[in-house]
Amino acid sequence: MSTTPSNDTESMELDPVFLHSKREAWIILGLWVVALLWAVPYCYLNGYQSGLDPEAIETTMGIPSWVFWGIAFPWLVADVFTIWFCLFYMKEDDLGVAHEGEDLAEEIAEMHTTQDEATAGGNES
Amino acid sequence: MNYLFDTNSSLPLVLAADGTNAALVSFLIYTAAVFVLAALSNRLLKNKSFLSEYFLGSRGLGVWAFALTFAATSSSGGSFTGFPSKIYTHGWILALWIGSYMVVPICTMGLIGKRLNQVARRSGSITVPDVIRDRFHSPLLGLMAVSLIVFFMSINLVAQFKAGSLILQTLLDGVTVFENTANGLAHAVSGIPYLSSAESPEYLLCLLVFGIAVILYTTYGGFHAVVWTDVMQGIVMVIGVIIMLPLAISQAGGLENTTKLMAKMTPPRFSAEEKGGITLTLNQPRAELLNIDAGTWITDEPIPDSKVPLLFRVTRATEIPAGETTVNEVKVLQLTTLDDIERILGRRESEDFLDGVRVSNIDLEAYAYGEDGNQQGTYLVGPGPSPSSSNGFLPFSLAISFFFMWAISGTGQPANMVRLMAFRDTKTLQRSICTVAIYYTLIYFPLVLIFCCARVLLPGMEGDPDSIMPRMAVLLTDNIQMGWLAGLLVAAPFAAVMSTVDSFLLLISSAWVRDVYQRNLNPEASEKTIKLLSYLVTFVVGTAAMIVAINPPKFLQDIIVYVGSGLAASFLAPIVYGLYWRRVNAAGAMGAMLGGFSVHLAMYVTGYFVNGSFFKPYQLFNFDPIIIGLSVSFLSGFVVTKLTAPPAEELVHKYFYTTKATTKAKS
Repeated sequence: MSTTPSNDTESMELDPVFLHSKREAWIILGLWVVALLWAVPYCYLNGYQSGLDPEAIETTMGIPSWVFWGIAFPWLVADVFTIWFCLFYMKEDDLGVAHEGEDLAEEIAEMHTTQDEATAGGNES
Repeated sequence: MNYLFDTNSSLPLVLAADGTNAALVSFLIYTAAVFVLAALSNRLLKNKSFLSEYFLGSRGLGVWAFALTFAATSSSGGSFTGFPSKIYTHGWILALWIGSYMVVPICTMGLIGKRLNQVARRSGSITVPDVIRDRFHSPLLGLMAVSLIVFFMSINLVAQFKAGSLILQTLLDGVTVFENTANGLAHAVSGIPYLSSAESPEYLLCLLVFGIAVILYTTYGGFHAVVWTDVMQGIVMVIGVIIMLPLAISQAGGLENTTKLMAKMTPPRFSAEEKGGITLTLNQPRAELLNIDAGTWITDEPIPDSKVPLLFRVTRATEIPAGETTVNEVKVLQLTTLDDIERILGRRESEDFLDGVRVSNIDLEAYAYGEDGNQQGTYLVGPGPSPSSSNGFLPFSLAISFFFMWAISGTGQPANMVRLMAFRDTKTLQRSICTVAIYYTLIYFPLVLIFCCARVLLPGMEGDPDSIMPRMAVLLTDNIQMGWLAGLLVAAPFAAVMSTVDSFLLLISSAWVRDVYQRNLNPEASEKTIKLLSYLVTFVVGTAAMIVAINPPKFLQDIIVYVGSGLAASFLAPIVYGLYWRRVNAAGAMGAMLGGFSVHLAMYVTGYFVNGSFFKPYQLFNFDPIIIGLSVSFLSGFVVTKLTAPPAEELVHKYFYTTKATTKAKS
């Protein structure tokens, strides 16, 4: 994958890694919203009670039902979704080779250019 | 295996010595293993681009290394001390408090992971400030990022050093060798002004042992040492939880039974810090001084008109001088649940009781929320009992805030971002997210179950809730006659805190070496200088933090919360914009960073004036400062960008475009 900056828009296209990760990020954000909208209101409506009768508590598999349906169950659903999403939906992209030291080299080059210009400018005057 | 009603079952206080010796042994083995890993990592530092290897592991992390270093770094010491103690104190509501962990792995790794890794490769960035500086081609922005990271992380490092030492101290409490060494150390440093003013000799010893170990292995081994020890630490943590879960459930008589018993529980009464407590009167004066340790049980006949026996547990050690019979204002907590009281009285022989004593002048406080008749079953439902807040532990708005806190603010942590720059390829990322998702499921929800069971198995721990984890470890393993196993279980908390501290340490030293020195002061420094400087700075930063932690700041948990949310408010928006928005420019990123940082800080400063403490931040619209900080950060980044000129086309091309496949084929 070429990463050389070029102003030749004709020969360039939007980076697929950028497009894929952006789409994936939106879906993940959606998942977060769904998790929030499921867990918090469900727990609030079913788990915030006053004057609970200790003999009449509802449990599912030994844990309070509001915890089971508000947290434990959506947690499993989120896990299943996560696994499906990561293994079958997320695109396998080429992240490119690392340009170790390139940023520094670029800045050193720029620094020298500026210095050279300054020296040249100084000579002219 | 129901040990609940077995009056002969062995109990933690009696057998604590066994368990904590196991803690000492496991700590030593563990530390030795960490050093072996550091030595192996150091060998990797040869023949590679030094900085990229030392601070980023040459971007070559595979699934296990990446997944576990990510998971272990995010779960700080709090996961195994603060969190269990919260579950114990507030009950089932902690399931909702931690609920967003169902999406934390996919959010913190998936939202920015792939793209951040790509951008860092494209620019050759090694640190988070590097990425910001390169992406926006702005040295000024890079410097701002470095300053914020150094500011926040240095505070955090000191706080984490303290947390680590406190955990180690809790674990080793009661081990004879440890106590003797601590006393020896106290004697040795008694003439040295700064050292002798440490909190306690035990704390100082733990800090030195813990600090020196972490500093040495991190300095010597660099990123790979940190990652490999994280992997080991991550495995220790999950094994600890997996062993504890079935033991806790079966010994508490099953989950159903635990929930039923918890439904009947009412919060204890407790003595206020300054005044109040109970008066103890001995039936007969004793010839010697009587020491009454914290954790001692005291019982007396029920008061008139009540059938419930009085049962107290001492929360602060006190003494009755020889020949005297009375001591006033003994700090205690009083159990109020009949089942719990009967259970403790039933195993009186094996518990630590002070006999021959009468109780009078009971002056105790009730929980601010959880004791009224209409709050029955408070450990089972929201908002959960709270000693100090009359709104309960987790009111609705706070529950929403925590969904932001863990999932969104976790994405904005630079320590996490650095890890996202280090994985090898997308396949690794995809598999790692799944691994971390399963890993967190195996740790966090089971912890809620385990420490709900702890309420039933170990009543009356509210006076010292931070040691509930080691106490449970000892109890559970002793009950099955496998005391040695406690060592493995109690290794989990210090594994957790170690894996956080080492990452933070490396993050700060990379900021100094790479971002301050190499990129601003001396870009043409030789590889040899950089190498020497990396070792030196890591060592010096660690040592400095350790020295500050000798007399550490108070409000430990509050500092950690402030730093975590402050970092997210400053870094999340600039990074997200930089990765996903072509139009954003350096001014916009600066606006996002400064906007988030200052509004978040303003909430805390306003809290100082309105609520009387910096650590009681002002809650605009009832929301945590993190939500306000993040919103302002994203908004100001957007507005400033729109008001200023678009970024250079060249920069946009470099990070958002690639050469067309057809053009490539032709060429």
